[in-house]
Amino acid sequence: MKTFRKKWLQRTSREIHSPKSLSRRTFLIRGSVALGSGAVLGLLPLSCVRKATEEERKNFPLPDVKTEYRRTICTHCSVGCGIIAELQNGVWTGQEPDYDSPLNLGAHCCKGAAARSHGLGERRLKFPMKLVNGAWVRLSWKQAIDEIGDRLLKIRAESGPDALFFCGSSKASNEGAYLQGKFAALWGTNNVDNQARICHSTTVDGVANTWGYGAMTNSYNDMRNSKAMLFLGSNAAEAHPVAMQHILRAKEDGSKMIVVDPRFTRTAAHADIYARLRSGTDIPFIYGLLWHIFKNGWEDKEYIARRVYAMDQIRREVEKWPPEEVENVTGVPKEKVFEIAQTMAKNRPGTIIWCMGITQHHMASHTTRLFCVLQLALGNIGVSGGGANIFRGHDNVQGATDVGPNCHTLSCYYGLAEGSWKHWCRVWSLDYEWVKSRFDMTRQYDAGGGKTAYTMNMPGIPVSRWIDGVLEDKANLSQRDNLRAVIFQGMACNSQTRGVEMKKALEKLDLLVISDPFPTHMAVMSDRKNDTYLLPTCTQYETYGSATASNRSLQWREKVIDPLYESLPDHVILYKLAKKLGFADELCKNIKVTNDEPLIEDLLREINRGAWTIGYTGQSPERLKLHAQHRRTFDPRTLKAEAGPCKGDYYGLPWPCWGKPEMKHPGTPILYDPSKPVAEGGLVFRANWGMDYNGQSLLAGGVYSKGSELKDGYPEFDAEILKKLGWWDDLTPEEKKEAEGKNWKTDLSGGIQRVVIKHGCAPFGNGRARCHVWTYPDPIPVHREPLYTPRFDLVKKYPTYPDRKAFFRLPTRYASIQSVDHSTKYPLIFTSGRLTEYEGGGEEQRSDAWLAKLQPEMFAEVNPKDANNAGISDGQYIWLEGAEGGRIKVRAMVTQRVGPGTVWTPFHFGGWFQGKDLYEKYPQGTAPYTRGEACNTATTYGYDSVTQMQETKATLCRITPA
Amino acid sequence: MARMKFLCDAERCIECNGCVTACNNEHDVPWGINRRHVVTLNDGVSGEKSISVACMHCTDAPCAAVCPVDCFYTTPDGIVLHDKDLCIGCGYCFYACPFGAPQFPEGNAFAERGKMDKCTFCAGGPLPDNSVEEYRMYGRNRIAEGKLPLCAEMCATKALLGGDGNIVSEIYIQRITKRGGKSQAWGWETAYHFKPAKEKNP
Amino acid sequence: MKTYPRVLTGLIVLAGLVGCSSEPRTVTMHEPGVYKGAKDPLLAQREQQQMLIDRFKLVQTDR
Repeated sequence: MKTFRKKWLQRTSREIHSPKSLSRRTFLIRGSVALGSGAVLGLLPLSCVRKATEEERKNFPLPDVKTEYRRTICTHCSVGCGIIAELQNGVWTGQEPDYDSPLNLGAHCCKGAAARSHGLGERRLKFPMKLVNGAWVRLSWKQAIDEIGDRLLKIRAESGPDALFFCGSSKASNEGAYLQGKFAALWGTNNVDNQARICHSTTVDGVANTWGYGAMTNSYNDMRNSKAMLFLGSNAAEAHPVAMQHILRAKEDGSKMIVVDPRFTRTAAHADIYARLRSGTDIPFIYGLLWHIFKNGWEDKEYIARRVYAMDQIRREVEKWPPEEVENVTGVPKEKVFEIAQTMAKNRPGTIIWCMGITQHHMASHTTRLFCVLQLALGNIGVSGGGANIFRGHDNVQGATDVGPNCHTLSCYYGLAEGSWKHWCRVWSLDYEWVKSRFDMTRQYDAGGGKTAYTMNMPGIPVSRWIDGVLEDKANLSQRDNLRAVIFQGMACNSQTRGVEMKKALEKLDLLVISDPFPTHMAVMSDRKNDTYLLPTCTQYETYGSATASNRSLQWREKVIDPLYESLPDHVILYKLAKKLGFADELCKNIKVTNDEPLIEDLLREINRGAWTIGYTGQSPERLKLHAQHRRTFDPRTLKAEAGPCKGDYYGLPWPCWGKPEMKHPGTPILYDPSKPVAEGGLVFRANWGMDYNGQSLLAGGVYSKGSELKDGYPEFDAEILKKLGWWDDLTPEEKKEAEGKNWKTDLSGGIQRVVIKHGCAPFGNGRARCHVWTYPDPIPVHREPLYTPRFDLVKKYPTYPDRKAFFRLPTRYASIQSVDHSTKYPLIFTSGRLTEYEGGGEEQRSDAWLAKLQPEMFAEVNPKDANNAGISDGQYIWLEGAEGGRIKVRAMVTQRVGPGTVWTPFHFGGWFQGKDLYEKYPQGTAPYTRGEACNTATTYGYDSVTQMQETKATLCRITPA
Repeated sequence: MARMKFLCDAERCIECNGCVTACNNEHDVPWGINRRHVVTLNDGVSGEKSISVACMHCTDAPCAAVCPVDCFYTTPDGIVLHDKDLCIGCGYCFYACPFGAPQFPEGNAFAERGKMDKCTFCAGGPLPDNSVEEYRMYGRNRIAEGKLPLCAEMCATKALLGGDGNIVSEIYIQRITKRGGKSQAWGWETAYHFKPAKEKNP
Repeated sequence: MKTYPRVLTGLIVLAGLVGCSSEPRTVTMHEPGVYKGAKDPLLAQREQQQMLIDRFKLVQTDR
């Protein structure tokens, strides 16, 4: 009986404080302790048992001391679990289940259950520090801000504003993330980004280009209504554990659960059908499903006729994918493909779920579109129980995608065109010319595709490519100079690929600033000696604000405890820096500032004033606080409050929540669902690409949302259309003044939206979802082999793109990499994924004793066949070498969880580099309890052709015993 | 009279370790001790199942039967507790326990272990309810506060149920009926002499 | 000496009155349907158990 797996690497207790004891590492088989008659106590290594010390038991509840309660939202993933914190005298003493929350109903995975450890904060960065000749020295906040500011101003003077790369965070609140984006804009660069780039950027772009918005269409809760659930590249049981509560209940109600993944995940263990496919072959797999769907006439013909554009072109591509070819390319047996197609067809509504297993590929923007096409063919979009349930990663990555710092668009998907800047300048009450003057307007640069542009109107360097912004020959860059300064506020560098080159980039930088609760892998991985600053930044439990869960619901967080040690919240640090850099007044023109702290509520109100595109306008702080208070009144299946003070609202006012807060729009629980009036959360597909294309209409045919006065498709609304329809006089005189010459996205009075919705219409028009995206490199998705493919024989038939000269300001390679057969030297597929206990770069959780002891060591899953071929046995150290030469030393876990030919590692580890523990390089007392190789030290080149998403899920490696 | 029981629904357990961490949080048990574990069978292959295991608070607890100093006692709710002032750390209970529940935090050499530690069903110990002394020795006493074990209350999928045995059975039977599977109330036969209902004769 | 028996009578009456007023009231007045006895430990336990049952339904049941 095999009863253990990843936890057989139980690290011993004393080691956590001292790296010297690493040599005494011992392992125990925990499963047998718990299961059998248990006669193994004597086998326990003695170092495993230790006296409980007083320090370990601190912050516990005392009798006869008043206990206060604060409600916040878990900061670990996008499910948005409520947390009830117990406090005594300002100390976080306990945690209770938030059973009133309709999202988690009190449930937590280990990360949520460990939230209180943030109140202990033993391994936190405690005060500002800098490197002086390789040693960490303590600074005051004033010194730190002054020194960083002086260096930034010097670099700006020498190399222009684009020499800075500022990475914001999807761990920040909406307000913090919004301010990060605004900060970069007023500094004068688009070189600003956040985790969303490497999380779901390909989803956001691909899905938005299909039907309007690039977000989860339904919700975790709504999955309870699904009859079939198809998981691709999603390991919900480990990445979104509490979502499984809804998923398993759907399954208990008879829903068919299908998991397609290269790895037999813990989610797959609960599935009715599991199929193992080769990494990076999702497009052929979906075409394989569509082949059966079209062949058997299972498609929803009426739905397609009325709501979809260019499905016929998909049919033509499908013809290229008969079952044999699908099996040849994907490795999934053709019977299985048929079974899955049939299950999806016979069990409707069905939903499709995908995560980073899909998005982190070099053709992922096309993969995500094809997933949408599958759902459109089945008529599964815009219905309860259906949808594209895209599980986002971080707790506020949806919010940071929407309002936050992005290099390719201003807040809320307004883009970077002149009109977009002018819109936000009006919201900010700033002179457009002044903002323009902050940018490098000396000349235009190559914007790719034969165009040139000013950097203000050109996407900046994305976080996936910042290392190339540093290392690339500056003659090849579409900006004045290389990146010389990098600020990371709430981002782990070990989540980006090509660690070996990252080390070089770090060493070349003139200035590195890390603003984070922990020093992070970034502080230790390079051999920098000077000009490196650490700014202690508090977690979201030490401040307050809103966060957007994956289902687009905004939730209000209360502050639990005061910032620990000398740490400060994101928005305070940004304000202090802006003050030093000379644009603090502009940054907070409409925002009240007290003691260098911009008022969070005012920040949200400013978002409300500008975010018309996606309806972030109705979620005022007051409404969000009311929802938090009355969360019990929302139904966990529909998320609707049937009674009480929030009657009619959907929990968290899932965006779009149209119009001003006073309009009391209830939020949109399911996107594109025409069965409800728009005023009650109904919607149709967005008409975002004109009226017709190539002679075919892009407007919906005879479909409209309930109660609509227009009984057919219609374009998006502007002042002129309102006048033509005779609706103009429904506006108040004040609204008319503001709305004149504007459209539904730029009318700051909200009048256009209000009137349009009053007439039952959707402000963004009523269009068709499109299968053909003519602005994309592949207008119809086609399969392209990974750049580092184990099937070089397929490259000829399914080649990648030609190299590109200027793409997000950088040369980007495709064919020049793929044209070489790397599989002879590196025969194994290398892919990565999540562990329940950790998240992202893992710094927070690996610094948490309760979680660290559950996952004490970095490892790689290797199939027994590959292990035997390489002469590797279970538990031994191996060298895993990526196809570009990066090497990591990890434990081998020999398991059938991965198929032959595939090696899998978790991506949360850091603190080691190519075999060396970097313990000594952390500031004293801040090294995480568990450290290990960052898997991305061994990952390789490869970037999505639309968004610059990094390729982490399909590359190559080889393994040898260490 | 209510009788407290634990039940882990293996069809729902996703091995997220939420229960283990909730326990660590609530009682701040030291590194090296886990009052609760999640055990996975058939790891990584078809048929993989996980269950969360801790002291089951057995009827006729075998640990109590073998204890040479008689440190165990059962509360009227059926919760099996022990008195650490009496415990001599002999480890007999560990050998007797079918669930591997007893844990030994201290000690320098074999046969010289410290006081045994185990799941208390969040009911503390013999010391005054929710006193500092009780917290230090046994952890928090939620039962005295009218609450149930935090591991069950925080379970990610409501796989782990902890409370009045009748309600626990009721919920579990409802789930079984819905799923159409057979009852696999793991550990119940051993802990509570519970026999799953035999199929009725036609 | 007429005052002596008068004082004596006065004292006796006073003592009697004092005796009356200081008599401890151990009688529990009956009111139908209201239990006024000492706290029943079993009752307290039942309350506690009802609390736990309510809590179970609030937190652990599928909603």
